[in-house]
Amino acid sequence: MIRGILTLGTFISVIFFPWPLTVLLALVSSLGEPLVPLAAGLFVDTLYYSPQASLAPFFTLLGALATGGAFFVRSRMRTGTIR
Amino acid sequence: MKRTFLVRRNALLSSTHFSWGAAALAFAVLVLFVRLLAPNLFWYVATPVFRSADALATQGHSLLSRFGDATLLAAQNEQLAHQNVVLANENQTLSQKVESLLALLNPSATARNMKGILAGVIARPPESPYDTLVVAAGAEDGVVRGQEAFGPGGVPLGVVGAVLAHFSRVTLFSAPGRTTNGWIGRENLPLTIVGAGGGAFHASVARSAGIAVGDTVFVPGPGKLPIGVVSRIDSDPSSPVVILRIMPTLNLFSVTWVELRDTGIELLRSFQEATSTRI
Repeated sequence: MIRGILTLGTFISVIFFPWPLTVLLALVSSLGEPLVPLAAGLFVDTLYYSPQASLAPFFTLLGALATGGAFFVRSRMRTGTIR
Repeated sequence: MKRTFLVRRNALLSSTHFSWGAAALAFAVLVLFVRLLAPNLFWYVATPVFRSADALATQGHSLLSRFGDATLLAAQNEQLAHQNVVLANENQTLSQKVESLLALLNPSATARNMKGILAGVIARPPESPYDTLVVAAGAEDGVVRGQEAFGPGGVPLGVVGAVLAHFSRVTLFSAPGRTTNGWIGRENLPLTIVGAGGGAFHASVARSAGIAVGDTVFVPGPGKLPIGVVSRIDSDPSSPVVILRIMPTLNLFSVTWVELRDTGIELLRSFQEATSTRI
């Protein structure tokens, strides 16, 4: 339930709140759902990316990086409490 | 006769295997496809959402401001300061326009370019992480790529980078790495203004130029239009140049309407491209 609320909260934050809060929510969500940062980054760039403003869709790339990091941490903590 | 059914549970919908992350990713990909295949429809659907977000932010601000007199006064002060900045910018812009127009032999030629298209802002920083504005005016309203966007008081904000039928995207001059030519100070010292993100700019000038904190930075408009004010000067004693930190004269986070009009930026760029490839 908490994972669902955090995931929805991240997506709502993309539209309603400043982007630093979105980044924070995505990182917190990634503890339970590693794909959320990538999904949120893709959603941010879908809404706001402009080739004239930036060379690359940085939020998708950063989301992918965070997702990769979350998967790596989870693979190292298989025997821990985070499953 | 009672029949028994073997209920097969869908692994994706099972509460133990349901992945919110996978669902979120699927949703994001779906939105991306809609954005790519039907951009105008996408913005039609997204506009009410952005408008409600804007209304919610305004309501939240007014609600918080009722909690105490000090907060109320601070809000009023902020509003008056904003109005003051807008009026000062407008005044500067008008005086510059008067000077420019008087200097020209054919003032009607400049006046023809002053007709603009008014557009409401749908998305702006800081929700929009890149320095862009999404505005509710597009090709059917007469918007074309390369038009310049002006805020209240005639402050230049950016250039139209993408145009749909009813929506456009404006790339702000403050977008990271974007360069704009302008002037600074009363001596009209030319300088290259570089976007630093978040509405801010920086530029480097010779130490001997004598630039001080508070000096106004202008960009071509027609005429000279104020774009920002020097807020800090970073200086290294071993370097002959100083770095100017420039804050915008207009708060980009509170822009609700912009005026779009052609100022010849695209024409200038096409000249530069033509001369660099054909000559």
